[in-house]
Amino acid sequence: MDENCTNLWQKLSAALKPQVSADTFKRWFSAVELVDATEGSLTFRVPNNIYQFWIESNHMAALQAAIVTAFGGPREVNFLSPSELADDTAAADATRVEEDKSDSGRGARPTGSALGLNPRNTFESFVVGPNNEIAHAASLAVAQSPAKTYNPLFVYGGVGLGKTHLMQAIGQFVLAKKKNTRVMYLSSELFINEFIDAIQHSNLVKFRKRYRQADLLLIDDIQFLGGKERSQEEFFHTFNTLFDGHKQIVLSSDRPASEISNLEHRLVSRFEWGLTAELQPPDAETRMAILRKKARTMQIKLRDEVLEFLANRIRTNVRRLEGALMRVASFASLSGKELTNEVVEHLLKDILQEEARHSITIEQIQRRVAEHFDVRIADMTSKRRPANIAFPRQVAMYLSRELTKASLNEIGDAFGGRDHGTVLHACKLVKKRMKEQDALRQTISFIDSSLKR
Amino acid sequence: MKFSVTKEKLLEGLQQVQNVVSTRTTLPILSNVLLQANGNEVHLTTTDLDVGVRGSFEAEVEKEGATTLPARRLFTIVRELPSSEIQFDVDGRNAASIRSGQSFFKILGLPEEEFPPLPKFEDAKVVTIRQKDLRDGLRKTAYAISTDETRYVLNGVLFSFKENKLTLVATDGRRLAMVDLELEFPRSHEADIIVPTKAVTELQRLLMDDGEVKVSVGNGQIAFDLNRTLLVSKLIEGNYPNYRQVIPSETKERVTLERETFLNSLRRVSLLASEKSNSIKLNFSKNNIEITANTPEVGEAKESLAVTYKGREFSIAFNPEFLMAPLRNLTEDEVFLDLIDEMSPGVLKIQTPFLYVLMPMRISS
Repeated sequence: MDENCTNLWQKLSAALKPQVSADTFKRWFSAVELVDATEGSLTFRVPNNIYQFWIESNHMAALQAAIVTAFGGPREVNFLSPSELADDTAAADATRVEEDKSDSGRGARPTGSALGLNPRNTFESFVVGPNNEIAHAASLAVAQSPAKTYNPLFVYGGVGLGKTHLMQAIGQFVLAKKKNTRVMYLSSELFINEFIDAIQHSNLVKFRKRYRQADLLLIDDIQFLGGKERSQEEFFHTFNTLFDGHKQIVLSSDRPASEISNLEHRLVSRFEWGLTAELQPPDAETRMAILRKKARTMQIKLRDEVLEFLANRIRTNVRRLEGALMRVASFASLSGKELTNEVVEHLLKDILQEEARHSITIEQIQRRVAEHFDVRIADMTSKRRPANIAFPRQVAMYLSRELTKASLNEIGDAFGGRDHGTVLHACKLVKKRMKEQDALRQTISFIDSSLKR
Repeated sequence: MKFSVTKEKLLEGLQQVQNVVSTRTTLPILSNVLLQANGNEVHLTTTDLDVGVRGSFEAEVEKEGATTLPARRLFTIVRELPSSEIQFDVDGRNAASIRSGQSFFKILGLPEEEFPPLPKFEDAKVVTIRQKDLRDGLRKTAYAISTDETRYVLNGVLFSFKENKLTLVATDGRRLAMVDLELEFPRSHEADIIVPTKAVTELQRLLMDDGEVKVSVGNGQIAFDLNRTLLVSKLIEGNYPNYRQVIPSETKERVTLERETFLNSLRRVSLLASEKSNSIKLNFSKNNIEITANTPEVGEAKESLAVTYKGREFSIAFNPEFLMAPLRNLTEDEVFLDLIDEMSPGVLKIQTPFLYVLMPMRISS
C-alpha cells in the first residue's frame, strides 16, 4: 500500500467508523487494504472473497456514505481478493472442459473472443476512406474515452460496409485497455431472444441485471427491434439505465434510426441523441486500399491490374470484395496459371453478374417513382402532361440523370421519345424545387435510397 | 423390449427421475428418459449433463432391451392412463406401444446409444451417512443458497468433511445457515466440496426416513447412492468462502422462543412490511418482544410476544422472509435468538449443532 493510499484509507476509516458497529469494523474492515485510488474509483484488497460478498451485501451503503464524507463524492468500488483470482482460473478451466453455453465464462475474466468479438476486427485492420472516416473517427473517440464523447454512438450503413467491424474494434480496444470493463456485444436479435426467454422462465430480474451492469453495450443490427414492442420497451429502460449511469452505448443499423419501421418515437429520438455516423460504399481508391491491405494480411501476391480490375468491378460491398479477392487468390495458388483479366472475369462470373444487376436502370426508376406517386407506368412514357403526371415524370428523369450513366438523349428516349432539352429542364426544375421544399427533398432521397437498396 | 407394469409403480419411478430433465436444451436426447429392462426390473435414467438420476421399478419383463423416450410426454400419458395394468412394447426402431385398458399410444423414441452415460466413480472416496441426517441437514441449510449467478461459488451447499464431522453450509451474503453432522471417516477423506443447487433439490426429494446413503466424491463430481436410486452431479469448481468469518464470536443477549408461535406472529405482522424497505422490527423489553411493521400510506401491524428476557431494551430490524425461512424449515419446538446490538448480526440456534447468522437491516429513525 503506497503512502497516498494509506492516507486516503485512514481518512476513509475515520469516516466509516461511525457508520458501522465496532464489531463490524473490526471484523470486516480492519483487514481491508486500499490498493488503488483514482478519480472515479477505489480498489480494495480483501483477504478472501467472503469479505467482498459480505461487504457488498451488507455494508455497501455505509461504505459509500463514508466515501462521500471523506472524498466529497461517490466513487466506484472494486474488490480484489487473492482466492477469487484462484477461483477464476479454476472456473476458466472448468468451463473449458464443459463449454456449456449457459454458464460459459461465469466469473472468468472476459476475453474478446469469449464475448463473440472477432480478433481480426480491430481498428488497425480497418481501412479508412472518405466514405467512412467520420464513423471511424467517432468510433475511435468512443473507444478511447467511453461515455465521455459521443453517447450513444449510432453507426449505420448498408451490408458489408464495416458496421460490425467498427463495433467489434471498439469492444476490443476497450477490453485491451482496461481488462475489467464489462463489455457486452450482441445482436439485437439475441437481445430479443434472451428477453423472450427471460419472460418465459420468469427471470427478468436476472436478465435486467445482466444488461444493466454493462460498462459498454454494443448492439448490432438494432433495426430488428422494429415492431417488437415489448423488447423495445425493455431496451428503452436498459438504454436509460446505462445512459444515466454514464455507460457507453454503441448501436448499428442498416438504415438511419428514423427509417426503422415500427420503432417507437422515444427510441428514435434517443438513438439520434449522441452522434450518428453513416458508412457509405467505398470509392475506387478506398476499395483499392482495402484490397491491398487484405492481400498483405493474407500474404497473397496479385498483380496491380488484377486488384484494379476487382476494385473497379465490385463496388457495393466490402465483404463481397474480400470474397472475390479470396477466390482469385486461391485460384492462382491452386492452378498456378497466369491471371489475366479474362480469367478473373470468368472466375467471378456470378459475382460480377450480381454486381451488374445492382446497377440501377431507368426502367426501375420509372417503376419505383410511378409506384410512389401512384401513377401508371404507362404515364411515364405517354404524351399526356397534367401536373399530377408531369411532375412525377420529371422526378423520374431527374433520378435517371443522377443514378444512371445514360445521356440526356437516352433518358429522353426512355421517357417516350422526349427531347434532351425536356430532360434538362426537368432536372433543373426538380433541383430548384428540392431546395425550396423540404418535403420533396425527403421524398426524393427516400426513393433514391429505396432504389439503392 | 417388452414388459408390463402397474401404473402406480411406473408413475413412482418416473417421478423420481423426471425433474432432472431440462426443459430447454440443445440436445434432444436430454429430454428423454432411458429405460433399460432386465431381470424383473426396469431402470430409468435422466440427465442434463450436470445432474443425473437413476431409478428403477419392478416389472414383468418379457423381453429385455433398452430405449429412450421423451420423459415429460411419457409421464403425462402414464398419469392419464385409464387402467392400472400397462403393457409396454418397444420395437427395433424405438417406437413404443403403450396399452392400457382400451387406450393405445405409440410414441417415438431415440436409440439407447445416443444417451450420454452417467459418469463412472472409480477409486472415489466413499462416506456413508444416514439418509435422515443428510435430509434434515439439507433442509436446514438449502434455503439460504444464493441465487445470484455472479457469485457462482455460493450457488450450492458446501459439504465440508473434516475431523469426523460433515459441515453443511449455505449463504447468500446476507445470511448463513450451517449444520454439523457427526460422521466417521478416515483422515484421507477430508475435503471441501460444493454441491450445486439443482443436485441438492433433487437429493432432498430422494432422501428417505430410513436407510443410508453412500456418498462418493470423485474428480469434480459426486454420487449419492441411495440403494434403489442413484444421483450424480458435477461439483461447483472454486473455493467456498471462509464462512467462519461471518459467525459472531460472542453474543450479548439471548432469548428463547417457541418456534411456531414466533413464526406465526412474524407471518402475520410481515403482511404489512412494505415492499420497498421489506423489514420487520423486533422491540425487546423486559419479558416481551413487540414485533412491528409498517408501510407508509398503507398501515401498520403490531404483535406482542411474552418471552423470558432480562437484557437491555433495544430494537433490531430484519428482513421478515430471511427470519422466517429457518423457522419454517426447523422442526424443533424451541429456538434461541442471540443478539449483540442493533447493528450486528443475529444468530439463531437450536439444541443440536445448527446455526443461522442473519444481518440486521438499518433502522431508519
